[in-house]
Amino acid sequence: MATNRLVQQGVKQVKPLLSLDRTEARRRVLNLYKAWYRQIPYTVNAFYIPVTVKQGREKLRELFMKNKHVTDIRAIDMLVIKGQMDLVETANIWKQRNHVMMFFKDTVNPKPTDFLSKFYEGND
Amino acid sequence: MLRLWPLRQVAKVQNVLGGLTQIATKSTQPAPAPELVEVFIDDKQVFVEPGTTVLQACAVAGVEIPRFCYHDRLSIAGNCRMCLVEVERSPKPVASCAMPVMKGMKVKTDSPMTRKAREGVMEFLLMNHPLDCPICDQGGECDLQDQSMAFGSDRSRFTDNAFTGKRAVEDKNIGPLIKTIMTRCIQCTRCIRFASEIAGVDDLGTSGRGTDMQVGTYVEKMFKSELSGNVIDLCPVGALTSKPYAFTARPWEIRKVESIDVMDAVGSNIVVGMRTNEVMRVLPRVNEDINEEWISDKTRFAYDGLKRQRLTTPFINVDGQLVPTDWETAFVKVAEKVKKVDPKLIAGVAGSTADAEAMVCLKDMINRLGGELLCTEDSFPLNRSGIDFRSNYIFNTTIGGIEQADVVLLIGTNPRLEAPLINARIRKTWIHSEVCVGVLGAPVDLSYEYQYLGDSFIVLKDLAAGTHPMCKALASANKPMIILGTDCLQGTENGVIYNAVKDIAERLRKNLKHKDWKIFNLLQKNASQVGALDLGYQPGVSGLKALQAELIFLLGADAGTVSKDKINPSSSVIYIGHHGDYGAQIADVVLPAAAYTEKDAIYVNTEGRVQLARQAVNPPGMARHDWKIIRALSEILGVALPYDKLADVRARLGEISPTFDQPGQVNESGFEAQAYQLQTEIKDPIVNVNTAISPTMLKLKDFYMTDPISRASLTMAKCIQACKESEKNPYSKQEAKA
Amino acid sequence: MLSSVRKQLLSSAVKRYFHASVLACSDKSFVHRDTPENNSNVPFDFTPENKKRCELIISNYPKGHEAAACIPLLDLAQRQNDNWLPISAMHKVAEILKMPRMRVYEVATFYTMFNREPVGKYFVQICTTTPCILNGVGSDAILEAIKQNLGIDVGHTTKDKMFTLAEVECLGACVNAPMVQINDDYYEDLTVDDINRILNDLKAGKKPKPGPQSGQNGRFASEPKNGLTSLTEPPRGPGFGVRPDL
Repeated sequence: MATNRLVQQGVKQVKPLLSLDRTEARRRVLNLYKAWYRQIPYTVNAFYIPVTVKQGREKLRELFMKNKHVTDIRAIDMLVIKGQMDLVETANIWKQRNHVMMFFKDTVNPKPTDFLSKFYEGND
Repeated sequence: MLRLWPLRQVAKVQNVLGGLTQIATKSTQPAPAPELVEVFIDDKQVFVEPGTTVLQACAVAGVEIPRFCYHDRLSIAGNCRMCLVEVERSPKPVASCAMPVMKGMKVKTDSPMTRKAREGVMEFLLMNHPLDCPICDQGGECDLQDQSMAFGSDRSRFTDNAFTGKRAVEDKNIGPLIKTIMTRCIQCTRCIRFASEIAGVDDLGTSGRGTDMQVGTYVEKMFKSELSGNVIDLCPVGALTSKPYAFTARPWEIRKVESIDVMDAVGSNIVVGMRTNEVMRVLPRVNEDINEEWISDKTRFAYDGLKRQRLTTPFINVDGQLVPTDWETAFVKVAEKVKKVDPKLIAGVAGSTADAEAMVCLKDMINRLGGELLCTEDSFPLNRSGIDFRSNYIFNTTIGGIEQADVVLLIGTNPRLEAPLINARIRKTWIHSEVCVGVLGAPVDLSYEYQYLGDSFIVLKDLAAGTHPMCKALASANKPMIILGTDCLQGTENGVIYNAVKDIAERLRKNLKHKDWKIFNLLQKNASQVGALDLGYQPGVSGLKALQAELIFLLGADAGTVSKDKINPSSSVIYIGHHGDYGAQIADVVLPAAAYTEKDAIYVNTEGRVQLARQAVNPPGMARHDWKIIRALSEILGVALPYDKLADVRARLGEISPTFDQPGQVNESGFEAQAYQLQTEIKDPIVNVNTAISPTMLKLKDFYMTDPISRASLTMAKCIQACKESEKNPYSKQEAKA
Repeated sequence: MLSSVRKQLLSSAVKRYFHASVLACSDKSFVHRDTPENNSNVPFDFTPENKKRCELIISNYPKGHEAAACIPLLDLAQRQNDNWLPISAMHKVAEILKMPRMRVYEVATFYTMFNREPVGKYFVQICTTTPCILNGVGSDAILEAIKQNLGIDVGHTTKDKMFTLAEVECLGACVNAPMVQINDDYYEDLTVDDINRILNDLKAGKKPKPGPQSGQNGRFASEPKNGLTSLTEPPRGPGFGVRPDL
């Protein structure tokens, strides 16, 4: 008994979220990517956002590539789940325009941190 | 109860000054503590002092009795009958506000009899009260509304089937501050009692009787008092409401921010009513140590000045024209000017409404630049122990302490206009005790009787030498007080006057029975003065001229004491302040700052009490908080101040003086003897003995406009106008006082 | 069915009691208005003999309580000033007594016997309280006779400024009702003829005899109409009914 427990501790396997191995995780990522890729024309149309389909797909790629360093299968799965949720919300138009535009945050200025900039801004 | 006349008459008939001594020597030994009376309020046993009224006893038991005419600080009228309660073994309900308690009294505050009595009274009151709550400014904070909800009947029996209408009363015009809708009046007479007891102006009264009785002035005249606005708060219905506030807001829309007033150096506690980033009104907040529950009219009504003449953007002077600009440009311009001048010739002047945070920032910045001179606008003798001892420049007795005084000597001050609430305290003392007041200065109307000693310096010298008849009264007093105004300290001979007053105080102090009693008081006029002196500012702008300052920072200095041509025509002026007043006119760069309702700030009142004002609204436009402007500027100038947050600035204040860490308290300041010793070491220069010692504010019309905010106020302008008009009104003539 | 419901509703409505009386208001104004004959510039001062009287009146009251002399002084002023009290007289009284003016206004407006507007030379006050309405010919008839005789209504002054008519509450002469008071004199037990005669006499500059008139057979005072019913025997001498040992 005791040895069994010791062995269990030594080679402890974490409980998988969805995928059992990397291939499966990769498949899920690709599926999500494809789903998003196909949804983008409808999204651009439905939300009437000032973004072309091409720009949207570039953004999609950019956002996926942002997480390319992730190797933990559970982390990948969690990101996929979140991406799935986002997709559902977008496809069902549960989101609003500005929520979709949140993906393109380039126009938002960073909040000032030092005293003088805060002073000029007038918000502190 | 007003002060009994006989005693005053007797004092007058006898040799006046002899009489004074007699009064002053009367023993004030405390009577042995009386036995407490046991009463039962709704079967709850309470012990109260004999002479307490049933209403007060109920308050002790935690039961609030409804009332209209009764008010803690006014005499008892007993005419509204709303406070009826049942007392066991009394056949009729008893007016609890006027009924003293008796041993073993059993009061029932919620019995059927009491409730029926209240309902009946309510019905009578409402029968003659118009149903115009929807258009009444009192709606939502109306005692009649609240109490009819709580105690009134749920239906009306009033049916006007003869269509004669309800009783209607003509409205009165009693000035630009108070709007009267006299049909709403329930004749509680609170306003009348306030006018005659607290304000000391017997202008209001009742005329007629029965149904025809009405409250008013009988003849058409202005209710001329510096405390008149308080009747608005006292009025339990909407008969007296605020004219400037009329139809602007409802009480439930208003957010209340507790703050401090800066119109005078009293530091009255106020509540700023705010809606949609706009100050809607100012009301008093109870503080027994300072303003009780009153505020002066300037405090209450000058708020509309916060919306006019405001600086909302930085300006720079281009060829004699002030041109609006942005902060960066303005700062660069200041930096250019600072680069050009010798750092030693940089100076700062704090104005009358400057807060402690801004003043400490300005001081630190100028010191870091290399400048030494920081001063305030109000002068004060410096060539003696001056501001080294706090007791030299604060109101040592404290405002609450006035009530214990038995002789008060006012020198060169008109407290009624310089600090109306201090004057109200003196009047309160005068009514309730045998205090005797002497005045050296102008023979102004102070709302109480006083012994006028003249206005010449010779009298002061006599007093200092102990040869004046008044000295006897002072010497025999248990708790004498001397209140010195700042107006007479503005001239070159201020040191002599100040020393003479100190001589009087010191001689009295030596023979004082109560060793911890403080005699000497300085009545400041500016809200910033004590704070500035605590921070090490120099009083008076004379130093600017001596220094030939090249660059002067004005921190809201708008009194007109600084002018370029008088100091140094080539100098530059940087103005940091909130109003386009005198300071901005002479400035080369104008930096817009926040007024007192727009910043969290510390003010020190004339007693040396540190108080926190809270931000009610945001500064308008591009205006910023004063201390932040200086902090930002310091960074541009390369001498960045080491604090980014208000808490850090306050920590710095605490480093300079620990009093800043104790808001709301008065720290006693001792060392009177040492302060006096230092003072006598220097010989006085010889001055003209005919110098008159007189305050500058003499009449009510001088009271309304004293600082940039009140100068910008339309309401205050109307008050001055009304005062001038009332001078022509034969019915407003000054009456002979009893 | 429906009518019975309505009946019930009505009967319950009847049970509510109404406030049905009209507000009884004074015909005087309780706010001062400047008029040519009554403003603060109208000169008023006590005559030298009245000044002495003032001092005497004031000396009746303890020192410091001079304000107690307010009513007698106002009365004196009114008597001196043709039976009415101009605002300047109130100011004078306030000045003499060192009272705030408002306190004097309060007194003068409270008491209805102070006339704050000019009145005629003869101030006719007719009592129209219940006993006067009921007794004799009744005050209604008397009032009507006065109105007819003088050609004025209640509250008015005749054009020649001789008479002012006022309707007042009980003057305390109920036993001799109906009655009028003309300046300081009571005219009681009136009939229509009496009042006409009195007014005509006054118009003619004569002074009619005050007191009971012909209404109750011209009695002397307020004795019963048909002779005394008690105290008929001659009065007893001193010592009557006293214990002999005293």
